[in-house]
Amino acid sequence: IPKMFSVSHKTVFVVDHCPYMAESSRQQVECDVLTKSRAQGVIPLAPVSKSLWTCAVECSMEYCRILYDIYPKDKLVNYIVSDSEFHILNSWRREDQSTHELMSALAAVGPPNPREDPECCSILHGLVAAVEALCKITELQHERRTTLMDTADRVANRGRIICLTNAKSDTHVRMLEDCIQETILEQNKLAAGSDRLMAIQQCDLVLVHIHPQGEDTLVSDRPKKEISSLLTSEVHSVRAGRHLATKLNILVQQHFDLASTTITNIPMKEEQHANTSANYDVELLHHRDAHLEFFKSGGSEHNENGLKETITLKWCTPRTNSIELHYCTGAYRISPTDVNSRPSSCLTNFLLNGRSVLLEQPRKSGSKVISHMLSSHGGEIFLHVLNSNRSTLEDPPSISEGCGGRVTDYRITDFGEFMRENRLTPVSESSHDPSGKLPAERAKAQLERYTRYWPMIISQTTIFNMQAVVPLANLIVKETLSDEDVLTCQKTVYNLVDMERKNDPLPISTVGSRGKGPKRDEQYRIMWNELETLVKTHAGDTDRHQRVLDCIIACRSKPPEEEERKKRGRKREDREDKAEKNGSKETEDKSWQDSERLKGLLDKDEQESEVIKDSPDSPEPLNKKPRLSTEEVQPPERAKGPVSLLTMWTNRITAANSRKHQEFIGRVSSVNNKFELYQQLKDENGMDVHENGKATR
Amino acid sequence: MPTVVLMDVSLSMTRPVSVDGSEEFQRKNLAVHGLNMLFEHMASNYRLEFTSLMAFSSLWDLLVPFTRDYNTLQEALSNLEDYDKTCVESALQGVSNVVQQEWGSACPCQVVLVTDGSLGIGKGSLRHSLQTLKHRGDDKKFPLPFPFPTKMYIMCVANAEELQMTDAMDNLEELLRLSGGDGQIFSMEGPLCMKSVQAMFGRLIDYAYSPFHAVLHCGNLSSDVQVFPRPEPVVLDEEVEPMPRSVSTDLEIIGFIEIGDISSPPVISRHLVLPIAVNKEVDEVGTGATDELEEEPSASQMAGKSPNFCVLLHGSLKVEGMVALVQLGPEWYGMLYSQADSKKKSNLMLSVFDPGAEPLPWLGKISHLGPVSEAAENPYGEDDNKSPFPVQPQVKRSYAQNVTVWIKASGLQTDVQKILRNARKLPDKTQTFYKELNRLRKAALAFGFWELLKGVADLLERECTLLPDSAHPDAAFQLSHAAQQLKLASTATSELVKNGLIYNSLYLCGPRWRQHLFVLNIVRCL
Repeated sequence: IPKMFSVSHKTVFVVDHCPYMAESSRQQVECDVLTKSRAQGVIPLAPVSKSLWTCAVECSMEYCRILYDIYPKDKLVNYIVSDSEFHILNSWRREDQSTHELMSALAAVGPPNPREDPECCSILHGLVAAVEALCKITELQHERRTTLMDTADRVANRGRIICLTNAKSDTHVRMLEDCIQETILEQNKLAAGSDRLMAIQQCDLVLVHIHPQGEDTLVSDRPKKEISSLLTSEVHSVRAGRHLATKLNILVQQHFDLASTTITNIPMKEEQHANTSANYDVELLHHRDAHLEFFKSGGSEHNENGLKETITLKWCTPRTNSIELHYCTGAYRISPTDVNSRPSSCLTNFLLNGRSVLLEQPRKSGSKVISHMLSSHGGEIFLHVLNSNRSTLEDPPSISEGCGGRVTDYRITDFGEFMRENRLTPVSESSHDPSGKLPAERAKAQLERYTRYWPMIISQTTIFNMQAVVPLANLIVKETLSDEDVLTCQKTVYNLVDMERKNDPLPISTVGSRGKGPKRDEQYRIMWNELETLVKTHAGDTDRHQRVLDCIIACRSKPPEEEERKKRGRKREDREDKAEKNGSKETEDKSWQDSERLKGLLDKDEQESEVIKDSPDSPEPLNKKPRLSTEEVQPPERAKGPVSLLTMWTNRITAANSRKHQEFIGRVSSVNNKFELYQQLKDENGMDVHENGKATR
Repeated sequence: MPTVVLMDVSLSMTRPVSVDGSEEFQRKNLAVHGLNMLFEHMASNYRLEFTSLMAFSSLWDLLVPFTRDYNTLQEALSNLEDYDKTCVESALQGVSNVVQQEWGSACPCQVVLVTDGSLGIGKGSLRHSLQTLKHRGDDKKFPLPFPFPTKMYIMCVANAEELQMTDAMDNLEELLRLSGGDGQIFSMEGPLCMKSVQAMFGRLIDYAYSPFHAVLHCGNLSSDVQVFPRPEPVVLDEEVEPMPRSVSTDLEIIGFIEIGDISSPPVISRHLVLPIAVNKEVDEVGTGATDELEEEPSASQMAGKSPNFCVLLHGSLKVEGMVALVQLGPEWYGMLYSQADSKKKSNLMLSVFDPGAEPLPWLGKISHLGPVSEAAENPYGEDDNKSPFPVQPQVKRSYAQNVTVWIKASGLQTDVQKILRNARKLPDKTQTFYKELNRLRKAALAFGFWELLKGVADLLERECTLLPDSAHPDAAFQLSHAAQQLKLASTATSELVKNGLIYNSLYLCGPRWRQHLFVLNIVRCL
């Protein structure tokens, strides 16, 4: 497990800006490449050569470029330049961490002034400043110390100093080390008494001695050694130019646990001949864990020269699509080694345009193994590690074989709609919510509101199968309602009243009913009950929510046993009131379930044939009961007020007759003695109810 | 997490156990009894676990390759034969090979080593192996730690006192430490008998093979579930947060995201989420998978027929191509999605992200994902044709911003050639000419590469002299202006000059730039 505050959390670059750094590296670059057609008579420009300073700066910038590409956060660089004094070019702050910032600051510094008095100039100014910088607390250290409170001492302070200089001798190097050691001790004493400073627990000094090409070095290489318990030091003596670049590239890999992958066989159009394509290779750096599997299965990490070996992966066609969810065990940011070469920029542009590439391990024989994927997310390219081993979860029991697996009329489409409404979106950290809740908590609160009454299967609900209820159902779950919203809800209710007056059919009788469904007015009673249940779960939220409930109670049809029901209703409301007064959030959350259960108990005697029994998959003992019992207890006609003698007589005859035969479904649910055939096709609006829950849609 | 049972079948396992009275047992019988108990438990409560059985003495033998068929495993146990001496090292090498061959080197594995604590003598004994640990070549490395994450359970058919009389306990502890330290050594308490061996394997079952039950919540909708395999606790940072984090038994859905937006995220583990019926004596893992128990069809059929939220969720996730983001604990998240296997079966799967506030950079901080309804404008667009993801980082990466790198000579040559190519097409290419020129100038100033500025100025002056007679007069004007400005930049010390840009000379006629020119002249005078 990597440590959050390891040595690599803080890196200080100290770059020598003394007059001798203005010396030429003596590595010449031909920048006037003449084309043949123009070569006649033109004297080419003399080659230019970089100074030691230019070499040091561009290699350190390359180090930072790779670092920032792969660790955009919390691996920090502080850049210091040293001549007759020190110049700190940036701070540990996150907004200061970019090569762009550093380049601007470096432009202001300019190359070393060869005429400056060498006696006044020293790398020591910078090194002392580097130790001071390491004591300064970073934002991450500060955040962590604040959150850890009493265990704040777990936040460590370690760091690395990379010093690019031209040292005089090994003795000179030793003097620099001693000086750093002493400064650490001094600064640690200071830090003990400060809130914004931290004592250094470990400091790694990496001293890179740069000398011009063709000159013998006066400083010898030395591997890492412990100077004290606080300080280690290593010395690299390097020729300026590409040797220095190679050295810093190796160092950045060592310091930040990087490894290299070469993507091979990338097909690219030739610049000259647009119709032909050649294959190119591009080398990428990334965290070494992207190769974990490879190292474990016996691959070697280093070649004979101690250099990290690059691992080759083959470009793989066909490409993958973004809708596929790959089993991915890691994703690591990449940085191309040669960022502005043509093959590199072709590859990165291809990926930045949103395309992904699968990569396969080159094998001499056997089947091909796809082990990685390159993909960009929001302008950053990641190397994904794909699982290529056998899965321990293979051949699991299908979900249709487990609990709830045999139910076929789940409201799959409705829940899909629910999911779309409950999709997430990034909310800027600055936007503050008056409730003080984080956006994710507000998302959960929304889910809570949306699910207070949410029947899972089609045959368990009437209102959610009715287009007419949609406006109210969509609004009532909102946290707050406007007056206009209340109006819309009321209109919905009036519309339902209207439907009832016109005796419009409800979906309850056709959806999933095999036997004879309940009578029309019974259907409406069921619908109103359900609507009331839904709205009741929200009525306590705001006055406007309550107004919607009031409207329903005032408008809904009065069932036959009005008086009795009123009494029961009052009782029920009393009990709910109590539950609400008890006040805890938990009871509120469960209120609909409770009231449902309560209702179930209360209505059990008279409603047994209701809602739930309509499921095609539920047992239907009630339809097989002798019909007389239900019919006689509550002849529906009783609700219609005073009846004539004729009606009473007719009813009695009909009742007696009906005991002797089973009524046709059509006649039972007919409107004005007319019954529309194949209604369900229309009502379901093209949806096949019985297919719900299956994979076909 | 697959299990390898490594059973010691050396001669010492046949030592009789003194039981008062009736029958006489060998230690092997006790071990077999314990393992039978483990297998029975797994068959009913942990049936999806792949288990293999290996027997070892001085050699090792894979008796049953990885399987979920616990009858086969029990059958193999009843046919064990007795062999020579104990050699743990070679057996562990065998485990390493068998596991890697089957599951690769990334899949975490559990090893149940059953032994009597007499760990061999002389060469090949565990003592000898551990003593020679540091004096080995690369070709004869000790097999621990295994390349794959390991949990090692050492079941000793012996009591602690007996193990401590010799160095057996010390050696076993060292073995556990070498394996990575994750696991436990179990020994028997009290006399060696059936009852105490049951107790010991009971402790193992509680420790490593008890099913993980949780409740999946989506607002007020919920379902009791088993999460298989058990999600393991994770240590984030040994220094800052040494306490391992565990997955909560309440899995709370936060909201939903399209598969394309979550975009193959890296995960630390994957688990099946199986709805279970509570208040049932036997857990529902794997019921109906192959052979249903005949005794209680009604109970499981009832469970199958009552609506379950998991099934609803799974169906809609599958149809919509979405995932549900789920909170697993404080600052720890995962995703639920429908996973189809090749045989048209599909399942609700949980993938666990790295613990932390921002496991996927392209989603931003999970705690800062809020409901769409709060946004002033639907970020998914009215026609569902947009997405608020991926979240863009504040700073572009180097490969996305046309950086200048001259470490290789070719980089520098390309940049100079680009300027010259455009210089020859002036005044048509004035804009690109200045763009490229300023890019080079900016980099040269940052790198303190003034020699290059002078060189390029010379090149531009030469181009000026090479202009054909037919050239537009503006071309010569622009070239000499640019050359002059480059030379100025390479000598001036004013920051104004260094951080400014070179502008198309024609603009200098404007009043705003006249002032600029005036400043430049002052600089030149200095």
